[in-house]
Amino acid sequence: MAETIIKTEKLCFEYEKNEGEEKTQVLRSLDLTVERGSFVAVLGHNGSGKSTLAKVLNLLVTPTSGKVWLFGKEINEETMTEDELYEIRRRVGMVFQNPDNQLVATIVEEDVAFGPENIGVEPSEIRRRVDEALETVGMTAFARHSPHQLSGGQKQRVAIAGILALRPEIIVFDESTAMLDPMGRREVLDTIRKLNRDNGTTILMITHYMDEAIDADRVIVLDDGRIVLDGTPREVFSHVEEVRAAGLDVPQITELTYRLGLSGTPITAEEGADAIEALITNRQERN
Amino acid sequence: MIRDITLGQFFPGHSLLHRADPRIKIILSILYIVLVFLADSVSGYLFLVLFTALLIAISGIPVSTLVKSLKPLLFIVLFTSVINVFWNREGELLVSFWKIAIYTGGVFTAVFMTVRIMMLLLGTGVILTYTTSPIALTDAMERLLSPLKVLHIPVHDFAMMMTIALRFIPTLLEETDKIMNAQKARGADFSTGSLGQRAKALIPVLIPLFISAFRRADELAVAMESRCYRGGKGRTRMTSLHLHALDFVLLFGLALAGAGIVLCNRFVPIYAI
Amino acid sequence: MENTAAKLCGVSYIYSEKTPFEKVAVDGVDVTLEEGMVTGLIGHTGSGKSTVAQMLNGLLRPTSGEVYVLGRNIWENPKDIRRVRFEAGLVFQYPEYQLFEETVARDIAFGPRNMGLPEEEISSRVAEAMAFVGLDASLSEKSPFDLSGGQKRRVALAGVMAMQPKILILDEPAAGLDPRGRDEILSGVVRYKERTGATVVMISHSMEDMARYCDRILVMNDGKPYLYGTPEVVFSEAERLEKVGLSVPQITRLMAELRRRGYPVSASVYTVEAALAEIRKLTGGDRA
Repeated sequence: MAETIIKTEKLCFEYEKNEGEEKTQVLRSLDLTVERGSFVAVLGHNGSGKSTLAKVLNLLVTPTSGKVWLFGKEINEETMTEDELYEIRRRVGMVFQNPDNQLVATIVEEDVAFGPENIGVEPSEIRRRVDEALETVGMTAFARHSPHQLSGGQKQRVAIAGILALRPEIIVFDESTAMLDPMGRREVLDTIRKLNRDNGTTILMITHYMDEAIDADRVIVLDDGRIVLDGTPREVFSHVEEVRAAGLDVPQITELTYRLGLSGTPITAEEGADAIEALITNRQERN
Repeated sequence: MIRDITLGQFFPGHSLLHRADPRIKIILSILYIVLVFLADSVSGYLFLVLFTALLIAISGIPVSTLVKSLKPLLFIVLFTSVINVFWNREGELLVSFWKIAIYTGGVFTAVFMTVRIMMLLLGTGVILTYTTSPIALTDAMERLLSPLKVLHIPVHDFAMMMTIALRFIPTLLEETDKIMNAQKARGADFSTGSLGQRAKALIPVLIPLFISAFRRADELAVAMESRCYRGGKGRTRMTSLHLHALDFVLLFGLALAGAGIVLCNRFVPIYAI
Repeated sequence: MENTAAKLCGVSYIYSEKTPFEKVAVDGVDVTLEEGMVTGLIGHTGSGKSTVAQMLNGLLRPTSGEVYVLGRNIWENPKDIRRVRFEAGLVFQYPEYQLFEETVARDIAFGPRNMGLPEEEISSRVAEAMAFVGLDASLSEKSPFDLSGGQKRRVALAGVMAMQPKILILDEPAAGLDPRGRDEILSGVVRYKERTGATVVMISHSMEDMARYCDRILVMNDGKPYLYGTPEVVFSEAERLEKVGLSVPQITRLMAELRRRGYPVSASVYTVEAALAEIRKLTGGDRA
C-alpha cells in the first residue's frame, strides 16, 4: 500500500465572524487520508471550507480541534520548533488564486528564487533550481521579463515555478485557475498534470469547476465543512443529485446520460456517443 | 494605456555600464557628482562635457531618449539661468537697458549653472538610472548599507519594501485606471467642476483602491509566508555580486577624470569663478 | 435596420497610437446589436471584445469610425458623452472591487444620483434594482464590505441596473464565481431584461453559458468579427470555432460524434434539453 502523506482526524475549524455572534463552523470533523503521489481534486462551492482545508495543510491556519499528520508526523505547533514548522511549509507548497498577489519580485527569475533564498540555499544551487523550475513550467524564455508583462496563465506558471524551486512533496492549488481565461486554465492544468505524472508530486487541487476534476485520481466533494462524496471522478459524477445539492455542476454529457437513465457515467463525447449508441441498438433489437 | 509606462528610466542593454556592478555604479555616481562640482573654469567644464559625452557613448543610450528626458526640466534650467543673468552683477557690464543690466559674470554663471545641471542629470543618468534596473538598484542599496545592520537598522526590510513597491506600482496603476473607468461608467465626472468638487469625485476611486491595496497586501503576506519568508534571517541570494576588473577600470577612469578637471582648473583657468 | 439598439460602423481602436507600444485592438469593425436580444460576445483575451464593450458606452473613443447608440452618433457632441453611459450601462469584470459606499443602498444609488434624479426616484430605483438581482431589502443598510463575494457582485450589478440603461453590457459577469453564484448573477440579468425589455451584451468565456442565455453570438478574433448568428448557426461551425482555439458546448460535440457515426441528429443542438429530445426521437419517442 502506498504511503499516507496527509491524514486528518476530526479536523474542526470555527471562527467568530462578529464578536458575541455564534461561531461559524468552517470544517466539521473532517477525516481525510491522502496517499503519496496521488492527484486529488477537492470540489465545493464558495464557503464549503475547501480553502480553509488548504490553509490548514500549509500551516497558515491552526485548526480549532482535531489532529493533522503530514509526512507521517503529527503537527503540533506548540511542541514543534520554528525550523520544523518552516520545513513542513517547504514540503507543502501552495499556489493561490490571484496570480498578481503572489509574485514578489519585478523579474520572473528573481521571483522564482525567492523561496530557496528564504531557506538559505547556496547561490549556485538556487540558480540550478530556478532554471529547472522555469523549464518545467515552460517559462524559460520569460526568465528576464517583468511579471506585469505576462498573461494570467503565465503569471500562474511563474508562481508554480516559485513553489517548485522549494522542492515540495505536496502542492496545494487553491482555486488557482478561477481568475484565468480558458487558455490560461489549460496551461495551468497541463502543468499540474505534468507535475503529478513526471515528478510524482502529490497534488491537492481545490476548485469549483467540475470539468477540471476529470483527470484527478480521486475527487472529494465538500459541503458545509463535511466530505459528502469521495471517489474516482466517475463514481462522484454518477451521483448527479448529490453533486447538485452541494452547489456544483455536472458536465453536460453526464447530465444527459443520467437523464436517459444510462449507467457507466461517460465523460467524453466519445464515451457519451458509445453509451447512446448502445441504447439505440438495444431499442432497435427490442422492437 | 497606463500599463505601458516604464518604471524609472531603465533602458535595457548590454553596454559596459549596464554590466558593471550596481554597487560600484552607486559609488561612481556619487563620485561623479563631486566631479561636477569640482569644475569651475571653462576648461574644466569643457573637460566635464567631453567626459560625460564619453560616458553616454559607452552606455549606448540613444541621445534622443536622453534629450526627451531633459525636456520636462528645461523650465527649471531656464528659470535659474535667467535669474542668474539678471541678478548677478559681477564682471563687466555688457548691456544696460532701463533697470536691467547684464554683466559678464551673470552670463557665465548662467551658462555654468545650465551645464552643471544638465551634466548632473545626464551623467548620473547614464551611470546609474538608465543602465541599472530598479531591482538591481534596490539590491545594491541593501548590500551597500548592510553594515548598518550592526546598528539594528532594518536594511533588509527596507529593501524588501522597495522591491514590493516596485513590483506593485504597475499593478496598482492599472487598477486605478480600471476603477476610474468603472465609476465613469456609473456617471462619475472627474474632469469638470471646481477643485473641491473634483477632489470629492475621487473618493469613489480612492476607497476601492485602498481596499484593494490592503487585500493585495494581505494575500501577498500569506503567499510570502507560505514560501518560507521569515525576514532577512538565514537568507541567501541567488545572484552574489562580485567585483570584476571592469568595475575597477570604471573607478579608475572616474578618478582620472577628476584629476583632469582639477588640472584644467589649475593650469587653464579661463574665466574661473 | 429599424430594430437596432446600437451599431458600430467601420470602427477601429488603436491603443497607444504613435508610440512603440502601438496595438490595434479593434480593426474596422461593423457590428449591429439587435434590439431586445441577448448578444453573447466571445473570443480570446486580446480579441478586442472588451474594447468593443467600452466603445459601446463611450468610455473609449474609436480611433476611426462611428458608434451609434439608440440611433444617435454618440461622438457627435463629445460633451454629452455622459448621457451615453446612462443609456448603455457597462458592468466591468470583477465589479465588486468598485464598491465604496457605507451602505448597499447608497452604493447602488451612486449612478442614479450622478444622473441628477430626485431622491424619491432614486430610492425606488434602488429598491427595484435590488429586487432584480435578488438581494433582500434587509441588506440595504448593511455595509457592502460585509457581504459574501457573490452578494457584492450583485450589489455592483444593481448599481448599473439602477440607472435603467436601455442597453446592459456585462464583461464576464460570472468570472470566478461558483455555479450557485453564477446562476444568481445571470438570472438577475435575465430578470432585468424581461422586465425592462433591455438589450443585453454579455462577454463570456463559457460556451455553456452562451448556449443557455444568448439569442445571438458574436465571435471576435484578432480585432475582427469572426462569426455572428444565433447559437444554432454559430455552434454548427465547430471546425471554424476550433480553428481560433474556441470550443463548442460539450453536448454539441456529442451530437456531432453521433452524426459522424451515421445517426440523423441535428448538429445545432447545444442544450441538454434539446439533446434529450433528439435522442428520444431516435429511440422511438418513449422514455428511455
